[in-house]
Amino acid sequence: MTSVIGSRAVREDAWGKVFGQAKYPADVNLPGQIYGVVLRSPHPHARIRRLDVRKARELTGVAAVLTASDVPHNSHGVLFRDQPVLVSERIRMVGDPLVAVAAESPETAREAARLVEIEYELLPALFNPEEAMRPGAPALHPEVHGESNVLYHLPVVKGDLAKGWASADVVVEQDYSTQMVDHAFLQPEAVLAQVDERGHLVVQAATQYPHYDRGEIAHALGIKVSRVQVKTLSVGGSFGGREDISLQLVAALLAYRTLRPVKMENSREESFYSHCKRHPMTMHYKTGATREGKLVAMEARIVGDAGAYASWSPNILRKAAIHATGPYEIPNLRVDSYAVFTNNPWTGAMRGFGAAQPVLAYESQMELLAKKLKISPVEIRLRNMFRTGSTTATGQALTGSVGLEECLQKVAPFLWKEGDRE
Amino acid sequence: MVELELTVNEKTYKLEIEPDERLIDVLRRRLGFTGTKEGCGEGECGACTVILDGRTVNSCLVLGVQAHGRKIITIEGVGDRRRPHPVQRAFVEEGAVQCGYCTPGMVLSAKALLDKNSDPSPQEIGVAMSGNLCRCTGYDKILRAVQRAAREVSGK
Amino acid sequence: MQFFQARNVMEAVERAGPGSYFLAGGTDLALQLREGKVKPQVLVDLSRVAELKTLNASGGCLEIGSMMTFAELGSSELVRTKANALWLACQSMGSPQIRNQATIGGNLGNCSPAADGLPPLLALGAEVRLVSRRGEETVSLAELLKRRPLLQEGTLIKGFLIPDQGWKSGFAKLGRRRALAIARLSLGIAVKSEGSRAKKIRVALGAVGERAFLSEALAEMLEEREMDETWLEAAAAGAQQVVASALGSRASAPYKQAAVAGVMREALASLAGGEELNGG
Repeated sequence: MTSVIGSRAVREDAWGKVFGQAKYPADVNLPGQIYGVVLRSPHPHARIRRLDVRKARELTGVAAVLTASDVPHNSHGVLFRDQPVLVSERIRMVGDPLVAVAAESPETAREAARLVEIEYELLPALFNPEEAMRPGAPALHPEVHGESNVLYHLPVVKGDLAKGWASADVVVEQDYSTQMVDHAFLQPEAVLAQVDERGHLVVQAATQYPHYDRGEIAHALGIKVSRVQVKTLSVGGSFGGREDISLQLVAALLAYRTLRPVKMENSREESFYSHCKRHPMTMHYKTGATREGKLVAMEARIVGDAGAYASWSPNILRKAAIHATGPYEIPNLRVDSYAVFTNNPWTGAMRGFGAAQPVLAYESQMELLAKKLKISPVEIRLRNMFRTGSTTATGQALTGSVGLEECLQKVAPFLWKEGDRE
Repeated sequence: MVELELTVNEKTYKLEIEPDERLIDVLRRRLGFTGTKEGCGEGECGACTVILDGRTVNSCLVLGVQAHGRKIITIEGVGDRRRPHPVQRAFVEEGAVQCGYCTPGMVLSAKALLDKNSDPSPQEIGVAMSGNLCRCTGYDKILRAVQRAAREVSGK
Repeated sequence: MQFFQARNVMEAVERAGPGSYFLAGGTDLALQLREGKVKPQVLVDLSRVAELKTLNASGGCLEIGSMMTFAELGSSELVRTKANALWLACQSMGSPQIRNQATIGGNLGNCSPAADGLPPLLALGAEVRLVSRRGEETVSLAELLKRRPLLQEGTLIKGFLIPDQGWKSGFAKLGRRRALAIARLSLGIAVKSEGSRAKKIRVALGAVGERAFLSEALAEMLEEREMDETWLEAAAAGAQQVVASALGSRASAPYKQAAVAGVMREALASLAGGEELNGG
């Protein structure tokens, strides 16, 4: 019998990668291919008053200049279809795609994009989720999400908070915030799309979610899913940033309209504009403990900036709420977690998926409590951590293996030595 | 257009290019050496590293015309399945390859180091690899792979 | 765009006219071309000009050709002993790939506020040799950096002359990370000492303003003094004053003002060179 545990496995695709043979989408080409680029919005919030693509279309070597009116079903999104393939009227963020251009060379395509004339009506933009969630703030998605910019709210309630605060000998209350982060996967988005001899759209891309891409392409173009094939080539890093569909949609649209293979490659700068970011979160935490260092009460309010489109925001802020206590038992608590639309770049999946940000808040709270109680940071954690038999904030009973205590005991000697701390 | 004659992986090519064309575009687009990757286009990531007359350079920051009359080694010229370079074998065996996009540049930086210094200190390895970014953050395994390759090359 | 590969300085200068750019290592120019920031009519490539790829010490001077790369200078024993500040800057500039390609002349020609080569050259009292169709000129780098524009049309940076008078020199740079970092602050310093006494000082700062510059006020403050703990603190505090007045109300001022004290201490700790006169 062979066992995986303890044996040394070699990555299946490692050899192809060390020889430079692995094909990422930028590395594949087809005879007669044309090159696509996307013209993106420089404004965070605006209406398109006038869009004139005539000069771009007239440039020699241009194969297609497409706008919103060329997209049969102009919407996509992993949870809600609230994101346009190409903006028809309302721009909600810097980087929103406005016009797709394809030409005989990338240089010509870029030149044509520069010839597109656009008149904008600039609108006041919402950059702060706290402001965006106030009643009366202009709604960013009235059609899909209604009159409030609060996309999602999850309250988590456990125990009796009044009783909890009454039994707390020490309380720490603090605001925390994390910043927006880009995945910066090393391989910028690229795609090769073609209509093959069967009349099927074949799209070669680096994606985390090919079956979803397939559905979105079929939906946007109004064709049967069975006529769309998405091939995943080597993926040069993702970290969540390739869950939402990206250039695949535009390339498919250009190929479908021109009946020529379409190659698209983002520069690093375009890459930054064209995929989601990690949610910045602001977190207000109030945590109480007894003199003996037992946690008894916690209230937390977590606001995640969803940016311009929903993407995975509800799931991410749900995860933030579920993980809001960290790996510590707190009998009485209330957590309110929100995802709020703004005119910032849209936020979505990134390593940790909402579980990473609250760490800053709940672990800092533990440090502050330990200081107040004059016990060691290890000790306060040992007194409150999840063990087999613990129940989490959302009522999940941990019946299986919980290795946290064993783990902390093993690493503690390396983290803190006597005398290191005041 | 300008005439360009250069040697890539011991084969000489003659072609015409634009004066402002980057070496990476000459290699990838005109000559088909797609093992050279573009990650940032501004010399920050090292994915486009090639060896030019024995020294590593970012092919996104070198103009094609600057390679006139010179010798280039791309990842395609380092080894193959029948005869992998020690660095390539070490990268596979140490698990130093994840998404693989930084790998060609990493392998070339490591090869250039070992060509000059087959017994580098960990610090020398760190410096030699400092112009290559890995976003999957497998640096530890990458450094171990270079050390392993060094042991093989130096016979120590 | 035309391309011309010069074989010697004369040819290069002959071809340089309106709309021409000299191509040295190209690590800045290639990027500017791609971004459309520069649109040369003629690119004059200097990579084959052997007389610009020289490095030697003679006549009381270290002479460095403008086409010497950072990697070449950074691996030269001659540079390490005669121009330690420059040698140190060559270790941390860019990345190995960039150091292999970028040249010291290009560093001056591009003249970025954060150019790593300039504070050490200023501190070392370097002179710059310029050549154009109008003739040759040797000018101190400190003077040259005051000119606007830096170079007249068609002017080629031929090289640098560093006086070899037994000065110790040092360099430190603050970046956001250890490798591949554009300098947020850099400082070059050179000291002519007698025993533990600083006789003469040159100190230059980079990335605090449009161009690197020498601070004469700071140098004067530190000259003719014992190089003891008090002196070290005075140097750090003095550097803070210089940065404060150079940056005024710029957003980076509070950070750089605090940080320069550490950069100064590091630079002083790195002082070396000038072995010959001080008996090694």
